[in-house]
Amino acid sequence: MTDEPLVRWGWIGSHLAYLRDLTLDHAVIALVPVLIALVIAVPLGLLCTRFPRLYQPVALVFNVVYALPGVAVFVVLIPYTGLATRTTVMIPLTCYALAVLVPATVDGLRAVPEALRQSATAMGYGPWRRLAAVELPAAVSYVVAGLRVAAVSSISLAAVGALIGRGGLGYLFIDGFQRTFPTPIVAGIVLVAALALVTDLALVLALRLLAPWAAHERRATRRQRGATQ
Amino acid sequence: MIRFEGAAKRHPDGTVAVEGLDLEVPAGRTTVLVGPSGCGKTTILRMVNRMVTPTAGRVLLDGADVAGLDAAKLRRGIGYVIQQAGLFPQRRVLDNIATVPYLLGWDRKRARARAAEMLELVGLPPETGRRYPFQLSGGQQQRVGVARALAADPPVLLMDEPFSAVDPVVRAGLQEELLRLQAELHKTVLFVTHDIDEAVRLGDQVVVLRDHGHIAQRADPHTLLTSPADQDVTAFLGPGRGLRGLGLVPATGVELDGLGRADGWELALDAEGRPTGWTGPDGQLQGPAPVFVPARDSLHAALDAAVLSPSGLAVAVDAETGRAVGTVSRAGILGALAAGAAAAGTSTGTSAGTAKVPGGRQP
Ligand SMILES: Nc1ncnc2c1ncn2[C@@H]1O[C@H](COP(=O)(O)OP(=O)(O)OP(=O)(O)O)[C@@H](O)[C@H]1O
Ligand SMILES: [Mg+2]
Repeated sequence: MTDEPLVRWGWIGSHLAYLRDLTLDHAVIALVPVLIALVIAVPLGLLCTRFPRLYQPVALVFNVVYALPGVAVFVVLIPYTGLATRTTVMIPLTCYALAVLVPATVDGLRAVPEALRQSATAMGYGPWRRLAAVELPAAVSYVVAGLRVAAVSSISLAAVGALIGRGGLGYLFIDGFQRTFPTPIVAGIVLVAALALVTDLALVLALRLLAPWAAHERRATRRQRGATQ
Repeated sequence: MIRFEGAAKRHPDGTVAVEGLDLEVPAGRTTVLVGPSGCGKTTILRMVNRMVTPTAGRVLLDGADVAGLDAAKLRRGIGYVIQQAGLFPQRRVLDNIATVPYLLGWDRKRARARAAEMLELVGLPPETGRRYPFQLSGGQQQRVGVARALAADPPVLLMDEPFSAVDPVVRAGLQEELLRLQAELHKTVLFVTHDIDEAVRLGDQVVVLRDHGHIAQRADPHTLLTSPADQDVTAFLGPGRGLRGLGLVPATGVELDGLGRADGWELALDAEGRPTGWTGPDGQLQGPAPVFVPARDSLHAALDAAVLSPSGLAVAVDAETGRAVGTVSRAGILGALAAGAAAAGTSTGTSAGTAKVPGGRQP
């Protein structure tokens, strides 16, 4: 071990464009699966709410998937999707996000106050229309809470993809370890954390702007929980 | 008109919520269902808009069995107000009110214009329309709930303890508002409450229920208060029936005396003839003078004014100008009560005998 400094600023300075590209790549690999999962989870959550018997088996499948180690999933997928392709990394990430988002959507829909459901029914909403137009918007704070967890863990998990050659910022870790050169490792950690933070803030802000009532609602429920504890 | 014919609801677990209900809810009037918790009030209400399907018997709306009507269409023609208001949290107040018009396919502009009208009708300022429900007080939310139920101008209004969750002052205001609206709109209202004072105040017809939706008594409020059917109903009405009844008798019948003096007290008037107070034997002015409006208030309000007045005389004033038109003593008011009770007592049974008095104060 040489007396290599923790951060060599010169390396960072000369690799700015490279770091930017890795960060963008990381964001795509990590967040596109979350978006895909959202598009699947919302209808699936509606379905599981409308037909409650469906929920147990669906939840079981996603929990099992969630328990699988990422590397093992890559190995299984490589023969079908190829080594070092984005798809190989993004399929497991989508499954992980689904495992968070489906229960979040279902919990949110189940937490809709009975009075709201009753009054919508009494005004002539059919069950599907009521779910989509009344209950889903009322559940949006739960969905966004799930989205925040899914996005942040996906950003962290995406680094594992570097093991098969597609990992965005994860590549910096492997590079650093192989060369016993800590600067890329530190840069990778900081950039992953920054990406997670920015994504999380963006989601919070989006909720505030697009669903001000829900931002209020979460604050109110948190207050209630605080009061009962 | 709504008609229940042997309507019953037995739940799958064997609970009998309602059995053998025969009831007529006359069109354009307010019928109040009152009774202890769990006696089946909500169940009866929901049979009308098919949120509960009777397990026996039927419910007719203007002669048609509701079981044969399309549920969604039926419901869009029936306003429904519940205790928790049930406003959509994600929609601004105006869009909440416009819900049924939107469902009926009205264009956005017309639906919004209608919603704005409704907002005004229930006494909320226009800027309330842009707010979200969470930004309103409980009483305001309840008003919005009423506005939303009225938006598509349904002939029938179902109200399930709509004012139970607000404080007594706000509740009195909402009750007054409903009486005013009903005097204008003449909806067929089926109103559920467990508060007997609310029932006699709002109902043209009051139906007192026992367990399983059995009818203990069905009568106009005056008859209910003066001649309860049995011990149970008497117990349910509670003490003070006689005095509460005063709130149901309009003060139009009181005979007014002049604006003279009584036992050394003299009524002081301003330049326009509006009462400012009573001048006592010692020459001291005590004001303001308690007043009532004969055309609007109840005997209860008149008696209240007389009891509060230092001279023992209540001052009758004109509703518009506020000018004193006469005075009446406590004895004079009780005299009018005897005459009024005799008149109201002749109309018994199910027909609505006494006119509702929006301004009538209840004890
Ligand atoms: N889904 C259900 N399954 C079984 N029993 C039920 C169900 N819903 C209502 N009941 C029972 O039916 C009876 C009547 O209920 P309902 O809600 O109509 O009463 P209520 O008069 O409105 O009472 P409250 O004044 O408390 O609102 C009650 O005994 C209740 O326990
Ligand atoms: Mg009830």
